[in-house]
Amino acid sequence: MPVEFGPDEFKTNERRTIVTRFWIFLFLLVPILGVGVFLWAPYAGVYLPQDVSTHGHKIDHLFTFILLLTGAVFIATEVVLVVFMWRYDRERNQDPVKFTHGSHNLEMVWTIIPAATLLFIAIYQMNAWAEVKIDRPDIPPTLKVTARQFEWRLQYPGPDGVLDTRDDIHTVNDLHIPVNEQILIHLESDDVLHSFFLPNLRIKQDAVPGSTIPVWFRATEIGAFDLVCAELCGWGHYKMKGRLTIESREDFENWLEQKRQEQEAVQ
Amino acid sequence: MMLGKHLASRVGAVVLGGLLLSFFPGCGGSPPATFRLNMEGRSPDQFSAEQKQLVVDILTAAFGTPDDPYIFPETGLDLEKLRIAAGPTYSEAEGVRHGLFRQHCAHCHGVTGDGAGPTAAFLNPYPRDFRKGVFKFTSTGPGAKPTTDDLKKTLRNGIQGTAMPSFVLLPEAEIEALVEYVKYLSIRGQVEASLFLYLENEEDLPESRDALLDEVLLVSNQWRDAESQIVVPDLKALPPRDSSEELAASIERGRALFRDAKTAQCIKCHGPTGLGDGNDEGDLFDDWNKEKDPAHPELWALPKQKLRPRNLRLGIYRGGRAPADIYRRIFAGIKGTPMPAAGKVLKPNQIWDLVNYVLQLPYEPSPNRPEETTKLTRARL
Ligand code: HEC
Ligand code: HEC
Ligand SMILES: [Cu+2]
Repeated sequence: MPVEFGPDEFKTNERRTIVTRFWIFLFLLVPILGVGVFLWAPYAGVYLPQDVSTHGHKIDHLFTFILLLTGAVFIATEVVLVVFMWRYDRERNQDPVKFTHGSHNLEMVWTIIPAATLLFIAIYQMNAWAEVKIDRPDIPPTLKVTARQFEWRLQYPGPDGVLDTRDDIHTVNDLHIPVNEQILIHLESDDVLHSFFLPNLRIKQDAVPGSTIPVWFRATEIGAFDLVCAELCGWGHYKMKGRLTIESREDFENWLEQKRQEQEAVQ
Repeated sequence: MMLGKHLASRVGAVVLGGLLLSFFPGCGGSPPATFRLNMEGRSPDQFSAEQKQLVVDILTAAFGTPDDPYIFPETGLDLEKLRIAAGPTYSEAEGVRHGLFRQHCAHCHGVTGDGAGPTAAFLNPYPRDFRKGVFKFTSTGPGAKPTTDDLKKTLRNGIQGTAMPSFVLLPEAEIEALVEYVKYLSIRGQVEASLFLYLENEEDLPESRDALLDEVLLVSNQWRDAESQIVVPDLKALPPRDSSEELAASIERGRALFRDAKTAQCIKCHGPTGLGDGNDEGDLFDDWNKEKDPAHPELWALPKQKLRPRNLRLGIYRGGRAPADIYRRIFAGIKGTPMPAAGKVLKPNQIWDLVNYVLQLPYEPSPNRPEETTKLTRARL
């Protein structure tokens, strides 16, 4: 049985009508501001950080692609919301509300389209995923990174080129790597979950206690960048900030040699 | 672009700050920070209110307040550096940051440097209480203060294996300001202790500038002298390490010494294989905890905490992993802890043998607990 809404006295209340309709446009602010923030962000320098990796553009491309896709759906949904509120405003729609018991076709459409989209994304991103997480380079590790509450302990193989031996070179929070070279990191955690995050290299990998996880990348530019923990790991999480220094092979070796000498100091 | 970024973060900060302030009406203006009177271990009524006020007044005359520090120029400490490290946190237009100690250290070490900041209770070991004037990891001889470089090294490297973080990313000038402030808090703490000692002995407190200056110099001169009390490892006694046989022989001599219960005695605390499980000495405490009376926990800011002899198989060295660091640790002990200074008992070549042995320990299997060294790590490689 259809039910009837809308008491008669509203029909004559002009002021009330205007106020109600005005509020509808406030809802329109959500998509406008939402889109505006994203258009403004790159100019204000609060968008993606500088990319200094070989694979980063793929991640950024995926990010932009998914952002546009979800952005389009977001705008469409918001516009439909506002249009419906405008069109079916109760002051101007005295007709009784009709309930339907669903439309098989409509449900098929809104199931198949998102499913196909997700499937497409899953396939579309496969190469990027493989490059960053599956195709591990077959080289000895450049260094071992051990996350612990609340610091990054870094261990470079010493002159013997093998990790976990007496001549390893130890530093803390000060990550140096050579530019334009394949880097392989063995990531471990001493205590809880941490996440090894190099924003400028588009690298983010959880450090899991009890497992050694390989992380690899190639840096393309010389400079100093952030290394942060991206997993809330305890009260001192904010402290887990390190520095990534990307430098020439020569500078890297000099730095490593200097660290080695500091560590071997007998005086 | 730069300007835009700046503006964006400013706007963000203001909006966020405004939001937070509107949620917490109490946060707008906090009262000026004060130094906490060191009543630790003393019952509140041991001294009269006038006596305590006198101590506060004298300390304020000699050292100022947390927001406005002072130090007698005769001490050689740099008041400008103290001013950068002290006070509330803010940045000057030229980018000079102020209030470094409160920004980076106070939540652990406390505004007074009493090692009892809000996070201290959750930590083991506790943050250092600077007021005792004792520092564990120094390059100096037994009983001596750390050098400026020692403190800088502590700040840069942090203290591995403890909550003390590394501040390696701070600019040199900020590290120097913080080191100066640690010295200042430590000197202040020791002068405070001697003022209370006067009161306990029912003597007059030093109230004139000269008397007070003498009191301060007594402490600050120890800091000055530390620079000339560095332990110099004896390189002539350094066993040859050119060949692996020579190194192995030195390690074996070190092993024997380590287990020698008469001379070196390391085994007593660190156990026969260095796991830190020798408990011949019973429960150990450092000086900060030793004096705590468990019957009166309310007299101390933090409950009593045990100190374990270090497990030397972990490869973590709080005072640095260079052979020179370990040499100094064995020679001068770890100040304020039961770890003894062996420099008088052992000859330099023996200390070097111990150094070589200690540095080798993390990489050899443990005979009595082999599972300790098998790694419990699943490699996804
Ligand atoms: C997260 C807590 C924490 C913070 C923050 C912290 N410390 Fe510490 N600090 C510690 C702990 C814990 C120890 C004691 C380690 C030990 O006993 O082995 C310590 C020890 C020290 C020592 C004594 C070293 C020695 O040789 O005895 C100094 C000096 C020091 N901290 C200075 C600082 C300064 C300066 C800052 C700020 C820039 C700071 N700390 C920030 C926890 C902290
Ligand atoms: C009375 C007990 C005791 C004896 C004896 C002793 N130690 Fe220690 N040792 C300790 C304690 C306690 C610590 C940890 C102190 C701290 O960090 O607060 C320690 C720490 C150490 C460390 C770690 C230093 C660092 O930087 O982290 C080394 C190395 C060490 N001891 C070597 C030795 C050697 C070698 C001997 C024999 C000459 C020895 N110890 C004898 C109690 C002892
Ligand atoms: Cu973390």
